[in-house]
Amino acid sequence: MADYRYELKQGIKAHLIKTDIFKTNLITIILTTPLKRENVTKNALIPFLLKRGSKNFPTNEDISKRTDELYGTSLNCGVDKVGDNQILKFVAESIDNNYTLNGEDLIKDVIDLLIDVTFNPYMENGKFKETALDTEKAHLEDLINSKIDNKDIYAYNKCLENMYEFTGFGLYKYGYLQDLEKLSLEEISEYYFELLKTCKIDIFISGNFDENHVKEILNQNEILKKLNEREPEYNVADPSTEVVQKVDNPKKIQEKLDVNQGKLVIGYNILDKQPNSRDIGIVCNCILGDGASSMLFQNVREKAGLAYTVKSGFIKPKNIIMINSGIEIQNYDKALELIKEQVENIKKGKFSDKDITNAKTYIVSGIKNIEAEQDTEVIFYMGQELSSKYFGINQHITSINSVTKEQIVEFAKSLQMNTIYFLTGLENN
Amino acid sequence: MQVIENSKIKEKMYIEKLSNGLTIIIIPKKKLTKKYITWGVNFGSIDNKFILGDSKDITEIPDGVAHYLEHKMFEQRSGINALDTLTNLGVDANAYTTNTYTTYLYECTDNFYEALDEFMDYVQNPYYTSENIQKERGIIEQEISMYDDEPGQALYMNLMKLLYHNNPINIDIAGTKESIAKIDENVLYTIYNNFYVPENMVIVACGDFEPNELLENIKRRITLKPSNNKITRVYKEEPDSIVDKKAERQMEISAPVFMIGYKDKPFSENMVQKDLALEILGEIIIGKSSKLFKRLYDEGLITTPLGFSYEYGRTFAHFLIQGYSEEPERVIDEIKNEIEFFKARGITDEDFERVKKKLYGEYVKDFNDPEVIAAGVLADYFNNINTFSFFEEFDCIRKEDLLDVLNSLFLEEKKAISIVKGNDKNVE
Repeated sequence: MADYRYELKQGIKAHLIKTDIFKTNLITIILTTPLKRENVTKNALIPFLLKRGSKNFPTNEDISKRTDELYGTSLNCGVDKVGDNQILKFVAESIDNNYTLNGEDLIKDVIDLLIDVTFNPYMENGKFKETALDTEKAHLEDLINSKIDNKDIYAYNKCLENMYEFTGFGLYKYGYLQDLEKLSLEEISEYYFELLKTCKIDIFISGNFDENHVKEILNQNEILKKLNEREPEYNVADPSTEVVQKVDNPKKIQEKLDVNQGKLVIGYNILDKQPNSRDIGIVCNCILGDGASSMLFQNVREKAGLAYTVKSGFIKPKNIIMINSGIEIQNYDKALELIKEQVENIKKGKFSDKDITNAKTYIVSGIKNIEAEQDTEVIFYMGQELSSKYFGINQHITSINSVTKEQIVEFAKSLQMNTIYFLTGLENN
Repeated sequence: MQVIENSKIKEKMYIEKLSNGLTIIIIPKKKLTKKYITWGVNFGSIDNKFILGDSKDITEIPDGVAHYLEHKMFEQRSGINALDTLTNLGVDANAYTTNTYTTYLYECTDNFYEALDEFMDYVQNPYYTSENIQKERGIIEQEISMYDDEPGQALYMNLMKLLYHNNPINIDIAGTKESIAKIDENVLYTIYNNFYVPENMVIVACGDFEPNELLENIKRRITLKPSNNKITRVYKEEPDSIVDKKAERQMEISAPVFMIGYKDKPFSENMVQKDLALEILGEIIIGKSSKLFKRLYDEGLITTPLGFSYEYGRTFAHFLIQGYSEEPERVIDEIKNEIEFFKARGITDEDFERVKKKLYGEYVKDFNDPEVIAAGVLADYFNNINTFSFFEEFDCIRKEDLLDVLNSLFLEEKKAISIVKGNDKNVE
C-alpha cells in the first residue's frame, strides 16, 4: 500500500494509505518540532492539555462520550523522539464505515474530531483552563516519576541520557520536573500557539476509504483552513550528517536501586559513512542481537545461561546501537566480557554467509509485515518523511538483500563503545 | 469441516476434530500478508496434582513445570534448537504458559509451510536430558528475577494469595528458584506423555489460508497417536470465602498501585453473557466516560484511567480493578461507594446503549489482527466458548442481566485489596 502524499498547505502534508485488509481506519496527526531542553517538558504537556477539551467538546467527559458514540473510537496521544525531533502524536482508531450498524459516515466524524482536539482547544481568554493545567501537570509529574517503574526502560533511558550528556537525543521524552513546576498558564498557552505556527504537520489516514471523499473532508475542514502556511522547523533525521564525538574511554555509570536483577545497557556510536550504511546497520544489528539466532542470544543466553533478555537495537536516525540485558548482579563482569566478545567477533568477521542469509530473511519478513499493521505502516512512512528519503517496501527489500559481508565488517569496525550503564541492587557494593 | 459464520463482522471459522482427537480451527483472512498459528495444550501452571491411570496415588509436581517444559520443548535431538530453525526461515516463533494452558506459535509472511514442518515436528518430539534442563535453569532464574522486580506482578500475586486458599493460581506461573531446582527430565516426560496428547490440544490458525489445504497439510504432519491414558486432575477444594482482606508491600516504584479483586464462583452456565455484562458494567461504573472517573480525575486522585478485567479459567473466576493513586485507600473507598450507588439506582438506558455501541466497535477492531484473533479463539476454546457468540450475546443482553451480576458478584465479603507502595524515601 503506497503512501499517497500531498501538501494541504506549505508545511502541512496529508498521507493517504489506502488498504482494504482492515476493519478499521487509523487517523494519525503528527506535529514535529526540534528536541530542546527548554521545550521538551512543554511539548510533553500539550497533548494532555488538548485531551482535556476542544471548542466543540469542551470537557474530557464530552470527548469520551463522543468517542463512545463513534463506536468506541480510541483517541490516544503522546510524545516521542525521532532523532533530534520531538513528535506529538494524536491517534484515532475507529471501525470502518462498512461495519457500522446504521451506515454512518464514521470516517468524517472521526477525522473532524481528531482535528478539533489537536488544533482547536477549549480556551478561556486565549488560555487553557487553569484547572486543566493543574491536573495535567500532576498527570505529567506522575508520568515523569513513573520512569523508574519499568526497570528495563529506565536503565535504557539512563544509558541514553549519559551518552548524550542530557542534551538532544539524551533528553527524556516526558521532560523534567524542575521545568514543569515553574510552567505558567500564560507560558504554556503562548507556547502552544507558537508551536502550531512553526511545527511540521503530517496527517496520516489509513483504511478502506474513498480517496476523493477523504480529500474533501480535509479540504472542507474549517479548522485546517485556519492553519498558516509555514517553513516547518525540524531536524531532518539523516545519520550521514550526524557528528559523532570520538570517545577514548567509555563512560561507566553505576546506579543502585532496590532491585533483584541487574540491568546492563551498553551504547555504541557508529562512525561508518558507507553510502547504504542504514541498510548495512540493519543487517549487522540483526546478526549481533536481534532475534533468537543472533550472536548475543545464542552465546549470552543459550550457551552461557546468563540472561533471559539480551538484545541489541539499531537507532537509525542517531546512528547508534544499544545492547541491553537483564542479569544476575554478581555476573556483571562475565556478562560484560561475553557481550564485548560478540561485538569483537562481528568486527573480525567471525560469522558465516548463512548467518547473513538468515538475518536477511528475518529482516525481509519484518518488512513484508509492515503492511499488515496499520500503525507500523504509519511509523514506516513517517520515518521516511522525517529523513526526506522516500522508498517503497520492495525497494527497501532489494537494498537489504544487496548488503555484503565486507560492508557489514566495515560497519562493525566503526562501532565505538560510548557508555556502559549498570543498574544494580542496594546490598551489592 | 464445520463452518461457523458471523454476518456482523463478516468472518468465518472452520472447525475440524481429527480422528486422533486433535481439534483444528481455521479463520481465513483474505489478502492479509501476516499468518499466525498457535498450538495450545490444555495444561497450565495450576495443573500440579493428578492421578495417572488407575493408580491410587496422587502425583504432585514442583511449581513451574508447565513453564519449564515450554522452554525445553524447543530442544531437539539433533542439537539444533527449533527456535533457531524457525527464526532462520524468517518466522517469528514463540511460546507462552498461562495458568490453564500452554501454547506454541509462530507468525510469518513467507515460508509458512516450511515453518510448519519444523513447528509440528518439534511440538511432537520432545528431547529432554538432564544436561539441557540444567542449562536452562539460569535463563529461567533470570526470567523469575525480572518478574520479581515488576510491581504489577507483585500486586497481582499478592491479590491471588488473598483471594485463594488452595487454588494454585496463587503461585507464580514460572515457580520459584527453589521449586524449579527440583525439575528433571523424568517430570517433563511424565507431563509430556500424559498431557501433550491430541485430545488435549487444539491448533488455531488465522491468515490468508484456503482452509482445506491447510487442514490437509496439518493432517499430513501429524504423528501423535490417540492416547488411552486416563488422567484425573486433582484440585483441592476451594472455599467460597477469601483468605484475607488486604496486603501491602513496598518496592522501588514512583507511586502506589492498587488492585481490588472480587472472588467469583468458577464457571457459571452462561460465561459469555457474564463476561459481556461485566465489561458493560465496568465501563459504566469506572470507565473513561464514567462520573466516577471524572470526579477522581478532577480531584487529582488519579491521573490515569482505572483498569478492569474479568478473568476466568476452569477452577477460578474473579473481577479485578486496578489503578495508580497517591491515596489508594481513598480511591478504593470511592469505587466501593460508586458500586453501591449503582446497585441502589440501577443503570440508565442511555449509559447502557452508549457503552454497548462502544464495545461493539472494540470487538470489531479485535478482528483485524491474526494474532489477536487466533490467541483469543484459543483462550476461548479452553473455556468452552465460541468466540463469535459475543456478537450474538450483544443482541440479547438486557439491563436486568447486568443488575443480576452487579448484585451477586460485588460483595464486600468477597473483596480483597492489594497495594504496592514506594520505598520510604527518608530511610537511608
